[in-house]
Amino acid sequence: MKAIAAAALLLAVAIAAGIAVGGVSIPLSDLWSGRGAAGDAARLVISLRIPRVALAGLVGACLALAGAALQALLKNPLADPFLLGTSGGAAVGAAFATLLGASPLVSPLAAFAGATVSSVGVALLARRGGRMDLQRVLLMGLIANAFFSALLLGVFSVASGEAARSMLFWMMGSLAQASPERVLMLLPYAAVGGAALLLSASRLNLFAVGEDNAAALGVDTEKSKRIVFLAASLLTGAAVAFAGVVGFVGLLVPHAVRAVVGNDQRLLLPVSALAGAALLVIADVLSRALLAPAELPIGAVTAALGAPLFAYLLLRSA
Amino acid sequence: MTMLLEARGLVASYGATPALDGLDAAVAAGEIVALLGENGSGKSTFLKVIARILEPSAGVLLLGGRPLSSMPRRETARRIAYVPQSVDLVFPIRSIDLVLQARAPHGRSFSADTPEDRRLALEAMRACDVEQLAMRDASALSGGEKRRVFLARALAQQAEIWLLDEPTSGLDPRHRLEFLGTLSRVHRDRATTVLFVTHEIDLAGQLADRVILLRAGRSLAQGPPAQAMTPKTLRDTFSIEARVEIDSDGRRTFLPVAPTPPS
Repeated sequence: MKAIAAAALLLAVAIAAGIAVGGVSIPLSDLWSGRGAAGDAARLVISLRIPRVALAGLVGACLALAGAALQALLKNPLADPFLLGTSGGAAVGAAFATLLGASPLVSPLAAFAGATVSSVGVALLARRGGRMDLQRVLLMGLIANAFFSALLLGVFSVASGEAARSMLFWMMGSLAQASPERVLMLLPYAAVGGAALLLSASRLNLFAVGEDNAAALGVDTEKSKRIVFLAASLLTGAAVAFAGVVGFVGLLVPHAVRAVVGNDQRLLLPVSALAGAALLVIADVLSRALLAPAELPIGAVTAALGAPLFAYLLLRSA
Repeated sequence: MTMLLEARGLVASYGATPALDGLDAAVAAGEIVALLGENGSGKSTFLKVIARILEPSAGVLLLGGRPLSSMPRRETARRIAYVPQSVDLVFPIRSIDLVLQARAPHGRSFSADTPEDRRLALEAMRACDVEQLAMRDASALSGGEKRRVFLARALAQQAEIWLLDEPTSGLDPRHRLEFLGTLSRVHRDRATTVLFVTHEIDLAGQLADRVILLRAGRSLAQGPPAQAMTPKTLRDTFSIEARVEIDSDGRRTFLPVAPTPPS
């Protein structure tokens, strides 16, 4: 409980910073009173910034939750949505849509379709003797990821300058397209996928010791595997569809949270969701502030923050 | 005698690799039964099928006369405890939490931390002399400590049947004796039915009320050690020539003499 409160507090601070910091700084007190130098301009920026902060938070929560659940299900601390090819599929879907000249509004749908094709494909290829073989899920995911990377490079190479630029920005992750509509579109996916995983937390505790362990303790393992894998794919597909490929969140956040709260999924999952949201909001602030008025791709920021932090966590635990 | 567990023509495989090939076997309530056989003879597979980790492709398995496959998984998990040969713990987990998992089939949607669950878990850890390890990370325990934590887990599960896969392998003599002492004590106190896999022929002869000898996924012989474990059945089971010696206390010792030349 204390950990959940601390993570919620961290998220609140991140959100405040996310709204206040940017190309135009807005003191929160001005915003509150509706007065101050910025005036109407402030409200305009707010109407852009609040959706952006909300989108960052939701995407971060989706990715962290998916990563935490997959790590427990596959009993592998290196599992994350990107390793399993889900985001690769989403990237290819969006790239094809861009190449075919579809409007930017269609990209999320195309990305989501790509993510679905990839995760259902991986789940089917990983079947063995009528069961989902978790070892194979990992290997097939790796293979799918490599395959989609190749497709992506192929699409990228034949794209025109303008389309290629849009694709590139998307491949590196971006929240620049944030809008209230997009936030509302992402919300139901996040809610459904998140609820499915949170309700699976106790079963995931048994999977974290081993699939045999879960089966011997009465879990319908085939059903649980399908629910968790599909819910994690749903969260990843939705996140990638609206923000592009944002790496390291799904891998790093559960690790960092586990080091603090332990590996009880009933605590680890909600705290990871809150911490993932906070991390992405902070990463977004940095992406806007570091080279202002230019913007860094958020995927570059999360990777730049994540890689050394991950190395530190590993060194500390060794 | 009515049988608590009964397998009839059980067939199971791992992918294309057959493991059980029409196994018939029966276990009565309160018995200690040893499963003996070569590597790959289907011993561990039999335990996994009973624990519902592996689905049999043919045959029936009856628990108290009812087909196991028709019973809810949680119900069988409350009645059958499975202790694997070893568990590779990837994530840190405190020993007490590992023991508490045994309460999952009893709890609502697999959560297990009511005060009653905690009391049972600690009581089981005390009985297995691992209470002092409760807050330690189970992945950092020694082999012998881990075995006893898993025995405590089976105890906390309050199951009437225990399935133990090679419970004494890899233990030094002292930990082996301690483990067997704990096992005998809890078996006596709770009248638990124990089915264990072992490669220690002597242990099977001393500890078990009955033995089941397996070869290539079928039963070669079953019965009390004195009747079922003869030089002939041991030769058929293990492809070895063995001498059976009986000391003045009536304890039987099996001396492997030589591998049987392939026929």
